[in-house]
Amino acid sequence: MLRCVQILVLTTLHGGTALAAAQLTYEKDIRPILREHCFDCHGAEKELKGNLDLRLRRLMVKGGKSGPTIVPGNASDSLLIQRVRDGEMPPSGKKVPANQLTILERWIAAKAPTARPEPETIGEGLGVTAEERQYWAFQPIRRPRVRNYPQVDSPIDALLLERLKEKEISFSPEAEKLTLIRRAYFGLIGLPPSPEAVKKFQENKSPTAYEDLIDELLASKHYGERWARHWLDIAGYADSEGHTERDVVRPHAWRYRDYVIGSLNNDKPFDRFIAEQLAGDELAPQPSGDLTPQQIELLTATGFLRMGADGTGSGANDANGQNQVIADTLKIVSTSLLGLSVGCAQCHDHRYDPISQKDYYHLRAIFEPAFNGAGWQPAGRRRVSLYTAADRKAAAAIEKEAVKLSAERNRKQKEFVAAAFEKQLTTYPKDLQPKLRAAWETVSAKRSAEQKQLLAKHPAANVSNGTLYQYNKKAADELKGYDKRIKDTRAKKPVEEFIRVFRETPGKVSKTRLFHRGDPRQPTDEVEPAALTIASPPDRQFKFKSNDSNLPTTGRRLAYARWLTSGRHPLTARVLVNRVWQQHFGRGLVSTPDEFGKLGEEPSHPKLLDWLADEFMAQGWSLKHLHREIMTSKVYRQSSKFDSARAAADPDNQLYWRKPVARFDAEIVRDSVLAASGALDPKLFGPPVAVKADADGQVVEAAAPTRRSIYVQVRRSQPLSMLTTFDAPVMEVNCAKRPSSTVAPQSLLMMNSQFVLNQAAQMSERILKEAPINPLPAFAFDTKQLTAMLNAGWSFGYGRYTPSNQWTKPFTIFPYHDKSYWKGGAKMPDKILGHTQLWAKGGHPGTYAAIRRWTSPSDGRVSFEGVFNHPSTNGTGVIGYLVSSRAGLHGRWAIKTKSANTELKDLKVKAGDTIDFIVDSNGSVTSDSFSWTGGITLKSATGTSSHWDVEKGFYSRDSFKSLPVQDLPKRIARAWELAYGRAPSAEELDSALEFIRRQLEYLAGHPVEKREPLKLAMSNLCQSLLNSNEFLYVD
Amino acid sequence: MWTDEPTSRRNFLARNAMGIGNLALATMLARQNLLATSPVKPVAAHSFDTHARATPSEPKAKAMISLFMHGGPSHMDLTDPKPELTKRHGQDYQGDIKYSFVNRASKKLKGTQWKFQKHGQCGTEISELLPHTAGIVDDICLIRSMHTGGNGHEVSIRYWHGGIAGVNGRPTMGSWLTYGLGSDADNLPAYMVLKDPGGNPTDGPSNWSNGWLPPLFRGTVLRAKEPRIHNLTPPDYLKGELQRQNLDFLRSLNQRHLAANPGERDLEARIESYELAARMQIAATEALDISGESAATKKLYGIGEKATDEYGKRCLIARRLVERGVRFVQLFLAGQPWDNHTSIATLLPAICARTDQPAAALVRDLKARGLLDSTIVHWGGEIGRLPVTENHSGVKAKEGRDHNGQGFSCWVAGGGFKGGMTYGETDEFGHRAVVNKVTPNDYQATVLHQFGLDHRKLTFQYNGQEKSLTNNRDCRVVNELLKS
Repeated sequence: MLRCVQILVLTTLHGGTALAAAQLTYEKDIRPILREHCFDCHGAEKELKGNLDLRLRRLMVKGGKSGPTIVPGNASDSLLIQRVRDGEMPPSGKKVPANQLTILERWIAAKAPTARPEPETIGEGLGVTAEERQYWAFQPIRRPRVRNYPQVDSPIDALLLERLKEKEISFSPEAEKLTLIRRAYFGLIGLPPSPEAVKKFQENKSPTAYEDLIDELLASKHYGERWARHWLDIAGYADSEGHTERDVVRPHAWRYRDYVIGSLNNDKPFDRFIAEQLAGDELAPQPSGDLTPQQIELLTATGFLRMGADGTGSGANDANGQNQVIADTLKIVSTSLLGLSVGCAQCHDHRYDPISQKDYYHLRAIFEPAFNGAGWQPAGRRRVSLYTAADRKAAAAIEKEAVKLSAERNRKQKEFVAAAFEKQLTTYPKDLQPKLRAAWETVSAKRSAEQKQLLAKHPAANVSNGTLYQYNKKAADELKGYDKRIKDTRAKKPVEEFIRVFRETPGKVSKTRLFHRGDPRQPTDEVEPAALTIASPPDRQFKFKSNDSNLPTTGRRLAYARWLTSGRHPLTARVLVNRVWQQHFGRGLVSTPDEFGKLGEEPSHPKLLDWLADEFMAQGWSLKHLHREIMTSKVYRQSSKFDSARAAADPDNQLYWRKPVARFDAEIVRDSVLAASGALDPKLFGPPVAVKADADGQVVEAAAPTRRSIYVQVRRSQPLSMLTTFDAPVMEVNCAKRPSSTVAPQSLLMMNSQFVLNQAAQMSERILKEAPINPLPAFAFDTKQLTAMLNAGWSFGYGRYTPSNQWTKPFTIFPYHDKSYWKGGAKMPDKILGHTQLWAKGGHPGTYAAIRRWTSPSDGRVSFEGVFNHPSTNGTGVIGYLVSSRAGLHGRWAIKTKSANTELKDLKVKAGDTIDFIVDSNGSVTSDSFSWTGGITLKSATGTSSHWDVEKGFYSRDSFKSLPVQDLPKRIARAWELAYGRAPSAEELDSALEFIRRQLEYLAGHPVEKREPLKLAMSNLCQSLLNSNEFLYVD
Repeated sequence: MWTDEPTSRRNFLARNAMGIGNLALATMLARQNLLATSPVKPVAAHSFDTHARATPSEPKAKAMISLFMHGGPSHMDLTDPKPELTKRHGQDYQGDIKYSFVNRASKKLKGTQWKFQKHGQCGTEISELLPHTAGIVDDICLIRSMHTGGNGHEVSIRYWHGGIAGVNGRPTMGSWLTYGLGSDADNLPAYMVLKDPGGNPTDGPSNWSNGWLPPLFRGTVLRAKEPRIHNLTPPDYLKGELQRQNLDFLRSLNQRHLAANPGERDLEARIESYELAARMQIAATEALDISGESAATKKLYGIGEKATDEYGKRCLIARRLVERGVRFVQLFLAGQPWDNHTSIATLLPAICARTDQPAAALVRDLKARGLLDSTIVHWGGEIGRLPVTENHSGVKAKEGRDHNGQGFSCWVAGGGFKGGMTYGETDEFGHRAVVNKVTPNDYQATVLHQFGLDHRKLTFQYNGQEKSLTNNRDCRVVNELLKS
């Protein structure tokens, strides 16, 4: 009866969730709130504020200094509620939100039930409750039962289908082959398929064509480059130390990058891959003598633990600086392998997950000995030389030789100088000679005042090493020869290279202490190495020896790596497969890849996550196997096309009824541009490509870009602008998930940056030389329209004016052009054309008349105004003719030592009509230099007006000029193939040809200095393709 | 945070597909806001934008210009007269002092060598080194009790920008403001930084870092010389018609692609972003061009005068930017010119001469244009200086002052801050803030408040943690500084 009343009250107060209220328990509902807001002072530590412990219900009832904290059954009389509601508690930091306060009130009102009888005694700290252990991420990985569906083979599909069927929808149909191959290429190797590869795949009718393609790509050496990028993001890879303003370069980090690429290419089992990175030094037998390739690989792997930003080598080598390095390294380890943010437990117990502060220091103890067992090692001391004994011996022998040469040289030098002095001495009076010699032979510091004076008086007697060349050049040259030999000898030494390692010094074990409130200046109790309690089996925390006597090192990291990869760890495999899924589908099954704890998202498909994790481990931690499983599934192969029926059931595609469209990562964007332009150098490995700030302050490659983005130096303070603009991380610590932004600076970069403009120009050169491999579509555009555009504007030739028909015949383009002249050849006079030539303002007739021809790009009306001038007082002068192809002769001017105004008014022309400015000699061909300046104005039929200046229009025309117009569609088709992997449709080709026509039309009237119009138009076409969504996204 | 993916997408659609105006949009966002505040755990967003958003409460300020004075302006020589200190010049200071440069430390009290006078109707005392600032005292709110607790530069700089003393890698206040508010400038970046031609300020690009907020909220650096924005303009040969043709052709390619992938909002957004970029080329070029400003305006800022020309131009550009809807503009000086350890007698007047007139001109100019009410102007460094002499082997001309984060001044004007007032006090020597201490967190909470934001509720999910500018630290909105 009483109970009923209570429910009634609650209903009145809280609007009808009495049933839920009745189910509130301390363990399930109250403890998480207390953990978040109260335990720091009232439970987590030995010292209890106000002598109040909130870790059990009965302790709450008992209360502290201020009396009982709760009065079961009476929320408003409970101190807890009063204090929290008044905002007195917690005293600082975030207040308890209203919804949590309501829960507390309801629980107290319901007489504060517990889920089970509370223990009689309670140890130190918060411990882990059964409820916390129930959290999905800490459950052991169990292979789920997979239902059979006749329409799918893959368990992945079956597990997804289960959920789709609940909504009565199914997968979308399979994507087109072009889409499939693009997905596979970009997904596995991060490069576009060549048009040839696309064609081959499209024509391959084998039922296993797709599977074979996946295998082929998994075997590609570029696979490692793409997937290393993902791992390097999580490892926080950088080629500089960061932390301080100087951001010192890390010269050897790249070997770790190459190690990752190589390991992935070899499909090194991931458990082994993890063990090597965490404990390569403990796996490698202690080196005695030369490092074996295996030892080098294992030591290089430990570079993983040296990736954090680190200012201790550049001015921040104090307790805080060192602590920061260790904290960052732990963050990298925990986010990459545990998917947990343990960082907040550095200062206090985790507020949401059962990770105690002590747990954090347990983890720290695993790594601490290698950080500072033998004292803190600043950056410069962490390297291991790759010199072999033979190298060292060879180097020593060479050095010996060099030292010998050097001694010989010094002896000679002494002799030469002495001889030169003696010779010089003979030029002085006999009586002076002994005094001069004595002064000269005395070391300068010991010379008497008199001796100094003497030498100052006779400066030429100061023969020295530095001035020997003035007295005896031959001797000095001989010494120079020695210098070169010494230098060359030393250069023969084997180059000494280094790897950057994380390793323990045997026998040097440092203690780990818990820092009060995370402050390294307040160390407290010593803490032993151990794994996180919550990720250990429920009965016991996974502890291991703090010093393994079977190993020279402590063995802590090796033991930890083995635990992580034992198959029993609940997180590692889940975290890894989730990340792979994220790369293939744009979001993880857990959408917070570095946060599997309570603050993260729960998995959308828990069974699938577990199946993948289990399968991954069962198949020997093979990443390539996992890729194959995922990529051959229906869910991966389905179309990305929108479908309104399916969308109605699942608008956000949570259930994967289509493959999401994805924008490429920054590196793929850049690499694809290089691939399309042909600039890409497919070479693997090696030191990073240097970067620099350009004149505008953008960070660009120091040399012309050719290498894949993964090889570009990652300078934390100077990340490549092209990459960061497209969301590549600026490495502060590490990056588990990149944002995908769509912002104007990306568009500005694609439109205006030198990088894109240069690559587009290079691509336009490339398509000139390559033929399309697909048949041309039946386009409608009449290419003849382009002929006039191509020829539009000025051309430069020679020939004759023919008075009989008022026409120019012949007209031949000059065969030769250099910076300032069109003429017959490099030599003047030319054998055939004599002095016939043109320059910007004028020219000179010779064997032939010099002719400047203007061709109209469109129908319209033409005017010309200009001045024709013959300056010389010698010779017989020149004759100029202004002739149009449509109406014949418009003017004739015979001038000598004078100017004539020349003009043409409002002549109607058709596209392709020409106007010639012909200048011939008037008798003799001497002193016939002339100028004819001015400009043509064309008013087109559509009303636009363009102007062609004679002088400004004087530029060279290169190979494009000779490109037959009928060839243009092929060139464009090739551009399409390189950008998109496919041929253009007829409609696309038409629109591209129309684009070229418009560009040529405009350029004909607005010539750009030093840029041939067609070349520029084609470059612009290529740039548009590179800027387009089809290039930047995969569907 | 009250945007998540659906919001921004909806935003995009509202602007583009349906053509609904900003008012409707604000309403939609406000509704989203209500929905988003109820769950305990905000949903982590996957895409972000800088479109203007509605705030939880009515904003007083719409924009902010911060004139950051790296190095630590010497408050007892500029803004905080200390007659007792002057009187006891040369005597030993009796209290404890924390020095940064122990090797040159002394306990000799150093009174100011410059005269203070009352100015304006309010009668606030300002040093003769800041004659122009003295002319705007009735419009500024002078805080004389700033306190960071730390004496180091970086420690305090990071406190001012990122909310926690000494911690690097956090988003700056400008990032938080643009993340929380977006921007009214459709064609300009929301958060702009005007760098000194001499180079980076102390602590480098961290001064405008987005930390773990999306890169979109990083300060866009306006370079000290042309081009002030990277990639803003094409090379000359592409300008105008040719690039227009390129963009038309690009749009036709993209439209055809979109038709084959209907309903893909990312594809739509990218098509729009090319158009925005094209508009930005014009808008930003126009905003940065001060040639059309009147001679009187230029004179006001000291443009054309050797000492003030450069800083004056930047202050003027800052005004032009907020006029065009930019949310947050910050000006920096190269290095830390206010760090007067040495030769304070000559170096302090020099840096004052460079910045005093332009800073005051900015306040006057904003006021004259009716913009001051909605624009916060901030002036100040990360720390102040000690009341004792920093000794250079007894050479008088080389004397200076060491760092002091225990008490110093800054001023704030406009945006709902009270003019003509001073707030807080340091002790009789200017060493420690003793009355109404204000921390950078208090300042941040107050500024956010003026923008209609609650510093405790403007949060971001990062690594599973709910992060905020003031990081749940003990701080308050300093209501005494605000117009009611």
